[in-house]
Amino acid sequence: MVEAARFTFRGRMAPESFTEFALHRAGRLDLEIRLGACDAASATLSVKGQADLVDAFEMACSLGPYDCIILDIERSGTA
Amino acid sequence: MKLEAGWVPVALSSSIETGTSAGAVVEGSEIVVWRDNSGKIHVWEDRCPHRGMRMSFGFVRGDHIACLYHGWQYDTAGQCRHIPAHPTLEVPQTIKVPTYSAEEKFGMVWATASADAKLPDIDVADLTPVRSLYIDCPQETVRAALDALGMAPLADGAGILAHNGDRLLLALQRVSPLQTALHIVILGSSDVHGGASQKHTAHWAESLRFRLENPDVAEVA
Repeated sequence: MVEAARFTFRGRMAPESFTEFALHRAGRLDLEIRLGACDAASATLSVKGQADLVDAFEMACSLGPYDCIILDIERSGTA
Repeated sequence: MKLEAGWVPVALSSSIETGTSAGAVVEGSEIVVWRDNSGKIHVWEDRCPHRGMRMSFGFVRGDHIACLYHGWQYDTAGQCRHIPAHPTLEVPQTIKVPTYSAEEKFGMVWATASADAKLPDIDVADLTPVRSLYIDCPQETVRAALDALGMAPLADGAGILAHNGDRLLLALQRVSPLQTALHIVILGSSDVHGGASQKHTAHWAESLRFRLENPDVAEVA
């Protein structure tokens, strides 16, 4: 089942590092990804792919790269 | 030699039994050497793409190897085929372990990342495996010691040495700048060279290692 989701990750972010991490993970999980705004406090992005792999992407990004701490995740479905 | 530069000996063939795996290191690159149930040898990066667990700790099942950590199963091309936690998931092609070309020759497993590297050729009918030995010395030091003993070079990091009436094929694997693996086989049938010759060669190699790792002791002795 294909699912599309929009995420906002909040916490202490290193924007370049988090963006690179998210792109790598999306590539590994064969997800389409569109990056939104990313700054030192939050990152917004959308992904689309197999539902289980979207969940796996969320889990991976909740852990994040070593120099980011994710404190909150907001997830919503997109059309 | 790095895996990208040419064929590197990574194990004795006899050390990797059917259905088993073992870890090795080539110039800091961690690899898994595993043999599927049909007897074919495989050399991959020793890292599951999921959580980074060493694949060499995994289980070989038929023509698949499964990661110890979460059971992700990979086929002989390194492609993930099954994720137990998501049994109905169509695993994407992007979940794949990087693989190296692997070949068995002269009783050893060789691996490379180079597309056009060629293995040396010698006329060998039978072989008697001896052992692999890990030496805490740079490859250059081990190579110089073997050259001093009269080893005839066969390829970069490999050669043939006459010893105690036997012809030994010696192949060097640079594990790190300060550690070297020495793989040893006797050129000749195990009917003739097995048993006493094998043991004698293994003792000689251990003695060589001691001398290389303890040059001051060797000088005093």
